[in-house]
Amino acid sequence: MLSRVAAQLYWMSRYLERAENMARILEVGQSFALVSASDSQGDDAEAIKEPLVITDTLAAFEAKGKPVRSDQVAQFLAWDPDHPSSIFNCIQASRENARSVRGAMTVEMWECINDTWLELLSRQKKMLRNDTVVDSGFFEWIKQRSHLFRGVTFATVQRDQPYHFIRLGTYLERADNTARILSVKTRRQAEEGSDMVDDYYRLGAVLRSVSALEAYRDTYRDTIDADRVAELLIFNPRVPRSLHFCLDECARILSQLPQQTGREARKRCANLLTHLRYGALKEVYALGLEDYLEKFVEENIGLAQAVQTDYLEVLS
Amino acid sequence: MANAIFDEMRQSNGLARSHYTTFDTWLKGISTETVQQKQTEADLIFRRTGITFSLNGDEGGTERLIPSDLIPRIIDAGEWALMEKGLVQRVTAINMFLHDVYHQQAILKAGIVPAEQVLANAQFMPMMLGLDLPHQIYAHIAGVDIIRHADGSFYVLEDNLRVPSGVSYMLSNRILMMRLFPDLFRRYAVRPVEHYPALLLQTLRSSSWVEQPTVVLHTPGRFNSAYFEHAFLAKQMGIELVEGSDLFVRDGFVYMQTTEGPQQVDVIYRRVDDTYMDPLCFEADSYIGVPGLASVYRQGNVIIANALGTGVADDKSIYPFVPEMIRFYLQEEPILKNVQTWQCRHADELSYVLANLKDLVVKEVHGAGGYGMLVGPASGKSEIDAFAKRIKAHPDNYIAQPTLSLSTCPIFVDQGIAPRHIDLRPFVLMGDKTRIVPGGLTRVALREGSLVVNSSQGGGTKDTWVLEESEAN
Repeated sequence: MLSRVAAQLYWMSRYLERAENMARILEVGQSFALVSASDSQGDDAEAIKEPLVITDTLAAFEAKGKPVRSDQVAQFLAWDPDHPSSIFNCIQASRENARSVRGAMTVEMWECINDTWLELLSRQKKMLRNDTVVDSGFFEWIKQRSHLFRGVTFATVQRDQPYHFIRLGTYLERADNTARILSVKTRRQAEEGSDMVDDYYRLGAVLRSVSALEAYRDTYRDTIDADRVAELLIFNPRVPRSLHFCLDECARILSQLPQQTGREARKRCANLLTHLRYGALKEVYALGLEDYLEKFVEENIGLAQAVQTDYLEVLS
Repeated sequence: MANAIFDEMRQSNGLARSHYTTFDTWLKGISTETVQQKQTEADLIFRRTGITFSLNGDEGGTERLIPSDLIPRIIDAGEWALMEKGLVQRVTAINMFLHDVYHQQAILKAGIVPAEQVLANAQFMPMMLGLDLPHQIYAHIAGVDIIRHADGSFYVLEDNLRVPSGVSYMLSNRILMMRLFPDLFRRYAVRPVEHYPALLLQTLRSSSWVEQPTVVLHTPGRFNSAYFEHAFLAKQMGIELVEGSDLFVRDGFVYMQTTEGPQQVDVIYRRVDDTYMDPLCFEADSYIGVPGLASVYRQGNVIIANALGTGVADDKSIYPFVPEMIRFYLQEEPILKNVQTWQCRHADELSYVLANLKDLVVKEVHGAGGYGMLVGPASGKSEIDAFAKRIKAHPDNYIAQPTLSLSTCPIFVDQGIAPRHIDLRPFVLMGDKTRIVPGGLTRVALREGSLVVNSSQGGGTKDTWVLEESEAN
């Protein structure tokens, strides 16, 4: 298939996944702020900034000169037109990519993404009129639209290259997101030491943001502790948002793409996957969790870059 | 004039013409509610399949439905047979003309077409001189606009040879009608048109000497008003829909970048104007073209359909000479008539045009899509005066024609059924041989009394039926 068309499908799903992840980060951030406000006032500013730290947008937010309040942060990350990865801009970019390659997807997929965009516009109008805050209802809606699009894709599209590139975008984006959340959420704990109640909420929030709370309970049947959370989200091959799971999917998808191209991407993916498949928590701690995750994010970016060069770019 | 207009469905005594009688009986038998319900259904089907077009200059490329009317335009078998013959004759002569002006230039030497009108024409491409094309075909696809005048005979209004569009509406109208009124197709033996994409693909493949050529459709992109059609045709033919940035030139060949690496392209069905095709050769700031493409074309390593430089034959200043071309190259009398045309470049014709603007239709020589034209009888004095100034400033840019009374065909309107003016755009395909699907696209001026059928100017379309055998006794 044409590299441009593959690229547009890939970015369509990456942007949609990014919007969903942003909603997840904000959602748990807000609910965490609710429960923690009473007993740990001093932590508030840090907790409020967390979504910005996770998404690497702290500097951009501060440049806006807005007060550091959770509603302002949510407003910025959800709607800000100047912030390229705001939920609004992600959905728009996703829909624009879809629009240029409508012929490469099913009618149902196009209608799903297009309806999402139209509804987002009408929500934006309401938002501007009423000056309402961005709340969990909005995050939930974004998540559901993303779920719906994945479901429609799964149920309607031919298992062919377009399908593979759509899924590749989802899993590369998701791996990046899980690594970032885990890194930021566990950093403070490492700095401030462990406290059972605090851990429960903080780590519980991490797990909920990646829909892995139930998986944690089923796997460990024990209290929530940082080591197990890290182990679950890095190494568990059955949790759909763990690094291992995401890279497993990437490797499987890459093996179904044309083999005369994509050598570099397959190599990088295999390298990453070897660590995840045969690694253990003590290797992570030998490097330090934060450094380990930072290295993972870098290598994951390298993999995405290889996909871009091998499959998606037009030479000339 | 009103009583002189030709009605496609009824004779002057109000009775249905013989090929419309079956339809007329059927029409009398269905209720207004049924019609309204079918119309709603039709809109739904169109919306679902995404049959839309976007308007020029519309920010963000807003999409609109082209209204499709549900009363078919029916053409009698005998009438079509004659029209088909006339079309083949005309497009054959035009292709011979194009080969001639880029080679021996016999028609210019014979003084039949003034040399300066060809050689100094903005559409004439010196780079095409001496280039030999397979089957000597330049216009692989022609969309000839035909109208029926009050005298009952057909006139060619324009030979669209550059990037004629509209064929997707012809196809969707048929799909729509067959879905909505299957019973009508049992009463009428309507000749099929659905195989047009297959004929087009055959034509394109046959236009290259390569044995198994790779064919692509080159679109300017999704902001183009005909993007839906580009995507539709590419899908129907099973070929890639490429943009300029997908193609590149290396070592004398054109390639497209795929996920499997570069793949050589042999035939480009382009829906991009000549001057945007290659920024190295023509418009330097074109982002929709392919740098170096013209040089590959000159080497004969890629086929471009329609050929570069084809526009010189559908220029409105060349149009008046088409009947002469037919006589010169084919030694035949033209079957389809030309509309009388005054060329403002000639002083005597210019003064006639200026004196009679209120009765004439004036068009820009290079214009298309119903933009930049004056319909005298439908314009006020100030409009006419303003247009006269433009003509006087650049007389070479304009031609004028009498206001033709386009024939009418009934359409469904809110109040029931009413006549509206129509034209017809059959599509002629030329490669190793000539291929035509019967009929073409019938366009309707939806506003009462309007003569402008262009979709960009509020026109609609109708399904066009050519009957298997004459229904006349």
